[in-house]
Amino acid sequence: MKNARALGLLAAIAILLLWPAFGASDATVNILADAGLYVVLALGLNVVVGFAGLLDLGYAAFFAIGAYTYAMLASPQFGLHLPFWLLLFVAAGLAGLCGLLLGAPTLRLHGDYLAIVTLGFGEIVPQVFQNLTKWTGGPNGIGGLDFPTFFGHSFGQRALPYYYVTLLVIAITILAVSNLRASRLGRAWAAIREDELAARHMGIDTTRAKLAAFAIGASFSGVAGVVFAAKLSLVSPDLFQFQVSVLIVSMLVLGGMGNVYGVVAGSLLLSLVNSVVLPQANGIANALHIHVDFGQYHFFLYGAILIGIMLFRPEGLFPDRRRKAELHHAAVADP
Amino acid sequence: MQLHSVLRAAAIACAVLATAGCGGGTAPSGTTVKIGVDLPLSGADASVGQSTLNGVILAVEQANAKGLPGGLKLEVYQLDDAVQGVHNPGQGVANVRTFVSDPNVLAMVGPYNSNVAKAEIPITNEAGLAQIGPSVVADGLTIGPDATQLRRTNPTANTFFRVCTINSRQGSAAAAFAKQFGWNTAYMVDDNETYGLDLTSVFSTDYQKLGGKILGSDHLAPNAQDFKALLLKIAAAKPAVLYYGGVTSTGGGLLRKQMFDTGIGAMPFMGGDGIPDLNTVAGKDADGAYYTIAAPNAEKLPSAQAFVKAYVARFHAPVGAYSANAYVATQVAIDAIAAAATANKGAIPDRASVVKGVAATDLQSAIGRVRFDAAGDIRNPVISLYGFKNGQPSFIKQISI
Amino acid sequence: MHAFLDQLVNGLALGGIYALIALGYTMVYGIVELINFAHGDVYTLGSFFALAILTALGVSGEVHGVALGIDIAVAVVGAALLCGIVGVLIERLAYRRLRNAPRLAPLITAIGVSFVLENAMQLWRGPAPVSFPSLLPNPSFVFGPLTLTLKQILVVGLAIALMAALQSFVKTTALGKAMRATAQDRDAAQLMGIDIDLTIAITFLIGSALAGAAGFVSGVYYQSTWFFGGFGAGLKAFTAAVLGGIGNIAGAMVGGFVIGIVEAFSTWLIGGQWANVAVFAILIIVLVFKPAGLFGRAVVEKV
Repeated sequence: MKNARALGLLAAIAILLLWPAFGASDATVNILADAGLYVVLALGLNVVVGFAGLLDLGYAAFFAIGAYTYAMLASPQFGLHLPFWLLLFVAAGLAGLCGLLLGAPTLRLHGDYLAIVTLGFGEIVPQVFQNLTKWTGGPNGIGGLDFPTFFGHSFGQRALPYYYVTLLVIAITILAVSNLRASRLGRAWAAIREDELAARHMGIDTTRAKLAAFAIGASFSGVAGVVFAAKLSLVSPDLFQFQVSVLIVSMLVLGGMGNVYGVVAGSLLLSLVNSVVLPQANGIANALHIHVDFGQYHFFLYGAILIGIMLFRPEGLFPDRRRKAELHHAAVADP
Repeated sequence: MQLHSVLRAAAIACAVLATAGCGGGTAPSGTTVKIGVDLPLSGADASVGQSTLNGVILAVEQANAKGLPGGLKLEVYQLDDAVQGVHNPGQGVANVRTFVSDPNVLAMVGPYNSNVAKAEIPITNEAGLAQIGPSVVADGLTIGPDATQLRRTNPTANTFFRVCTINSRQGSAAAAFAKQFGWNTAYMVDDNETYGLDLTSVFSTDYQKLGGKILGSDHLAPNAQDFKALLLKIAAAKPAVLYYGGVTSTGGGLLRKQMFDTGIGAMPFMGGDGIPDLNTVAGKDADGAYYTIAAPNAEKLPSAQAFVKAYVARFHAPVGAYSANAYVATQVAIDAIAAAATANKGAIPDRASVVKGVAATDLQSAIGRVRFDAAGDIRNPVISLYGFKNGQPSFIKQISI
Repeated sequence: MHAFLDQLVNGLALGGIYALIALGYTMVYGIVELINFAHGDVYTLGSFFALAILTALGVSGEVHGVALGIDIAVAVVGAALLCGIVGVLIERLAYRRLRNAPRLAPLITAIGVSFVLENAMQLWRGPAPVSFPSLLPNPSFVFGPLTLTLKQILVVGLAIALMAALQSFVKTTALGKAMRATAQDRDAAQLMGIDIDLTIAITFLIGSALAGAAGFVSGVYYQSTWFFGGFGAGLKAFTAAVLGGIGNIAGAMVGGFVIGIVEAFSTWLIGGQWANVAVFAILIIVLVFKPAGLFGRAVVEKV
């Protein structure tokens, strides 16, 4: 049986790598590359929210930091043209540092206070980028970013090379995150999530663990930001607003917080709903001979989806076993 | 094992999308010509996006009724670039890639927002797809080093054109009008968006060149409804005119209204073509406000009147701020397609010939004469000044820049 | 001095509206520990309802005399009542099932409800700001360097009055006691015979009614309303509630005024585009040094 599983796995990986060669259009590859970036973002946020249980509603800020790092260091803006591959690490470090900066003063806050502070941070960062026009291009943003190169070959504008880079980043992220979860740090996070006071009394350094969660989660977002900026060849503040943070949180909740593969599934699903189903809803409706103009109802549909999922399956599509136990334990404990 | 199942699912998704996405070569076939339209059709920009789209639809329907060479039929292929209610450059790019991947799309109209255009132009430039913007006014899209950078894949072949006039021309005209009215000091406010910032920046330069004095400038906070703190600040500075760079919905309307609450209602308020609908928010308080628009006096132009009549009859709604521009932009595309089809003996033409046709446009349209310069901008635009009387726009005078 | 006082008064009026919204936020949070993201949109809904009522009454500008009193009463009561009902419905349909779910679930639901409400209002009156009748004349009163307009006085006065009314309601009435008990320990309250479902429903009723009233006030003050206005205002109002100490009614009001003043002053001194940054920066600073907010009591955790 193990052989059959391994074979299936290999087949799946092969399809993911090779399908673009079979005449897939640039538009389709582009959609999946974009969806892939959201997978990375969701996995990163999963470390903060899913593993460590810290409510972060401003995750898009780190995404912005990563993206603007690339925009300022690999474009005509300052005349700096650092290589893409180097900047992946630079952005990871920078975003991680910002995660620490955000985490440090918020350690004493619990639950919803933390949520509001992170939300505030998420509002401040893009606004700062928008206001510091001299450095960041203001609301216009910075365009014409450098194309990444791979052994002398420029990526250009086709979505394909970015798709492969995204797959690579996803693979590394999944490996890193899974290992983290099984590590001592991961278990510390689980302990903190369930009962922080008890964890502290058991000798876990909760401060370090929480800071690590913020920093690590943020660094993944920074990496995703670099790939995003390089692919779009543009950054502008309105790409990193609260709606993006909400979207990523929703992906986590939909997929099943804590569960790495659930998160992947949830993010793929919501991403495709948002960028394929909703914009093309009119086309789909026409094909099914339903004459409703869906264009006006995007928000409504999206909100309804969120509400529906939360009402009927709040633990998500692929719930983490521990989380499910927590949920049911809480229900049972209620007299 | 969940990794396995998720990977499987993803792989299947890829396979399905691959088969959906492939098929069709790169040459157009059949007799349907699609005109791609990329606009924000949901969320905060929805009403302008929709009315702009209507302009396109009207032009296409009229052309189909008249008939095209070779029996070609036109089809509007619209995609929404708003994600969660906000125009999104990433979605715009995805939409443009969809247009590019469809060989029967020979031209596109859009986008609405300048930063979306910034992301899209490199794609249409590489693909050689004619792109005509109805409302994107940021200078940097066609002028300067930014513009060159956007076209780096194909520097010699420009595919981007726009029928709206660029900010620097509008800002210049506004400065000239302000000086003509004898307003020698101004305070500038903008909505901290691309369009607004460009406008005030140009206004500032040209106004000072003409001898005017800028007493100060400020940006609005996003999504704000209360501007009284700012207006109190401006009242203290006592400028002769308040120049506003931005559109009605990002604060122009409320700003004008609240001028009366803070005691400076008598101060003239001037803006660009972002506030022609100021009266919908400010009502009678719009009186005393002025705006420039890059079109000749619509009431004196028969084609403009005909357009308005046809629009209202078709959509049972008043004309939107950029409906006329979109209508004309589509006409430009259609004429180029028709000319290319004729040259191709009635068969469906290719994109390159459509681009050439657009570049060679010379059209008398509902917004005046349309000809493009080498960068893709309109040549010799006429700028008109409108004011509000009894809550309705009324034409005052025009300038040729 | 003149400018300083003007901005101060302006900030207080702006803050008064935030205070009104924050009252509802803090009440609901105190009892169900839920950040009701939809609360800001209920506030906007209140202004839409009030507009519809006033339009039905044929009001389009200023009104005087007895008619003014009637119009105000009908509009306020109508808006508050309708919003209260909406609030109860939202709680019943969207939040009740998730009372024991992990914290994020009702939060996401609240965001979903917020989106639904926003879209509904966008479809109702369109995406652009909508005109609201002025209703009251707005004379100014000058006291030396200080200038006050009638509407500013009313906004601030109303915020204080409603806060006091709410405070006394919660402290003296049986229902208020039930609410406090539920907030303190839900299980114990239930064991003491308090109907939790009813108490929570009434909390939402009152909180949303307050938001509705705030919507009416905001409409009259700005003479305009906008489907998306609730998002920013709600966010700042929640910031105000947190600043004051979540669950603390007087704190929410003070927090509202503080936020309003911060916003006005930062617009005046550094520019409107930094106003939001200043507000959130203040929030972060206060919470770093006083995590429970200005008036919140640090919760002693019993081990």
